[in-house]
Amino acid sequence: MSVKTTTMPKKFHDAVLKWKDAYLPDYEFLLENWEKHFPREPRFELCAYRELGMCTEIECGDMQGKPKYTQAGAMQEEQAHHLHGAIRAQASTEFGSIQQHRLTLARAQDEEEQFWILRMMAEELRHGYQMLHLLVEDDWSSVSKESASDMIEDILSMNTGSHLLGAFNIDFDSFVDNVVFCALIDRVGKYQLAMQKISAYQPMAESMPQMLREEAFHLASGVVPMRRWMMQAAKGEGLISVDMLQRALNKWLPRGLEMFGDERGGGTNVRYGLKPMKNAEAQQQYYQEVEKLVRDLNVRYLRARVPSFGPSEADAALERILAGEAVEGIRREDLLHMPSPEFYRRRGVPAFRMVGFAGETFADVGAYLRHLEQHLPDAYRAGRDYLEYVDTLRQVARGELEAKQAAARMPTLRRVGGSCPCSKSVRWVVDEPRPAGDNPAVIETPAPPVPATV
Amino acid sequence: MAETATGVRVRPADEMDISAIVGIDEKIGGHYRPEVWERRVGYYLRRDPEASVVAEADGRVVGFMLGEVRSGEFGIEETTGWVEHLGVDPGFRGKAVGRQMLDAMLEHFRSRGARSVQTLVDEEMGEILSFFSALGFEPSTLRPFVRTL
Repeated sequence: MSVKTTTMPKKFHDAVLKWKDAYLPDYEFLLENWEKHFPREPRFELCAYRELGMCTEIECGDMQGKPKYTQAGAMQEEQAHHLHGAIRAQASTEFGSIQQHRLTLARAQDEEEQFWILRMMAEELRHGYQMLHLLVEDDWSSVSKESASDMIEDILSMNTGSHLLGAFNIDFDSFVDNVVFCALIDRVGKYQLAMQKISAYQPMAESMPQMLREEAFHLASGVVPMRRWMMQAAKGEGLISVDMLQRALNKWLPRGLEMFGDERGGGTNVRYGLKPMKNAEAQQQYYQEVEKLVRDLNVRYLRARVPSFGPSEADAALERILAGEAVEGIRREDLLHMPSPEFYRRRGVPAFRMVGFAGETFADVGAYLRHLEQHLPDAYRAGRDYLEYVDTLRQVARGELEAKQAAARMPTLRRVGGSCPCSKSVRWVVDEPRPAGDNPAVIETPAPPVPATV
Repeated sequence: MAETATGVRVRPADEMDISAIVGIDEKIGGHYRPEVWERRVGYYLRRDPEASVVAEADGRVVGFMLGEVRSGEFGIEETTGWVEHLGVDPGFRGKAVGRQMLDAMLEHFRSRGARSVQTLVDEEMGEILSFFSALGFEPSTLRPFVRTL
């Protein structure tokens, strides 16, 4: 295994450092305490890693067996366009997750868990840097009129609410979100990175191994605290209940499923050799993996609650409890459960179908919202993301919007001119459907003070 | 010659293997120690996630081997692979599951530039001693010392 490290040209590198000062202010604190929490481990370094000696032939799709591309300009235009979008989206998610994590990092109850998340945030910064480096190192003029400076400014100007994928536009409400996000949303990241490891674009493929190594710890930063919390909840010692974890699971799982893209899509990426699996296949594997996690957490709970249970007794008891029986006073509702994959979806095939937690369907919006009230965290329902969903759902129910249009109503990024001092920045723009013949209206939320300019 | 378990697949360990590792440890030692393995697996995933492996048979984890590449340990300056924890489901003993996991680990150690691999085994653990001896490990000049506090 041979790895090459590089840094971006100074102006771009400095832009990321400036972004870091704005959104990761605890970075220096992490480095000061590195030895205490990660003794003798290599110190964090902000750079791009490229794995050498990887496969040089396209591994799937129409051009399988042909040499991988080392330059975007050599790719078919549509192929390069898909790739360019994927790199931007990946960069957006990396920076976006830091903006989310920082909101509630200070609320951690355990110093070790807090430092795990802080380290993970620094590594996400590096992952974002890795993606920016791909945009800077190559010539993307075949698919984008933006200069490297503009592309980087676009990405570094995004804030929670303007990121390309829905999961990164949702505010965290407590440290439970930091942890559950790692267990569920970083898991999607693992799938995406693993798929992109075979990318027909060699620089992308070479960027993935180090990111995947770091991602393994990010997932552990979610799963290990969840296991501990389930154990503490079972013993009545913890401050985080199973219900809180269940609601966080319900909040994040639907967004995680949607991150794979529409269930009917993904074939183009496979044909172009950019990913080995279509969206539905990857999404299904992800769902099954989370199912296994939930089962493991329930067994952890049962064995903490009934210490006399051995492994086989705990497994048998879990089956009986899930079937509706109470065992040792433990009932079905005391445990964690998987929401239906169609629950609370607003993208993909089940978008706005009003599917309940157990897969039941609702015909009445009011009844569905009452159902969501029972399954989603209170603090989340008081936020912008939920309000927007409810608003859109009502329009769909009134027949003012088709589900397909509603699903497409995610924020899109535009360069918006104007007299505002930050008019060069990207704005969050949502196209509101209007009657035919009318001009599309835009709702703009002002961009944040530009944290980084290049 | 040990029978090789057919259909055994060795892959890097991940956070989803914690429960299975806890289960194997419990079968071997009779103690349920989830906290220990949550911490350990977290540690190895953070340090070098490709160095630690599990063996799967029919989709079930039947063995694990945790370790990493370090230098500077006990004055050994050269880059060295360390095998630090291992366990094989008793039902899969004698089927070369450990050998397959070790082969995968050694391959990774080599790719990280290690030229030797070390481990520490209690002399009273005859089965583990035999395992490492059979795989070419020899007693080292390094001797452990201990003092009760």
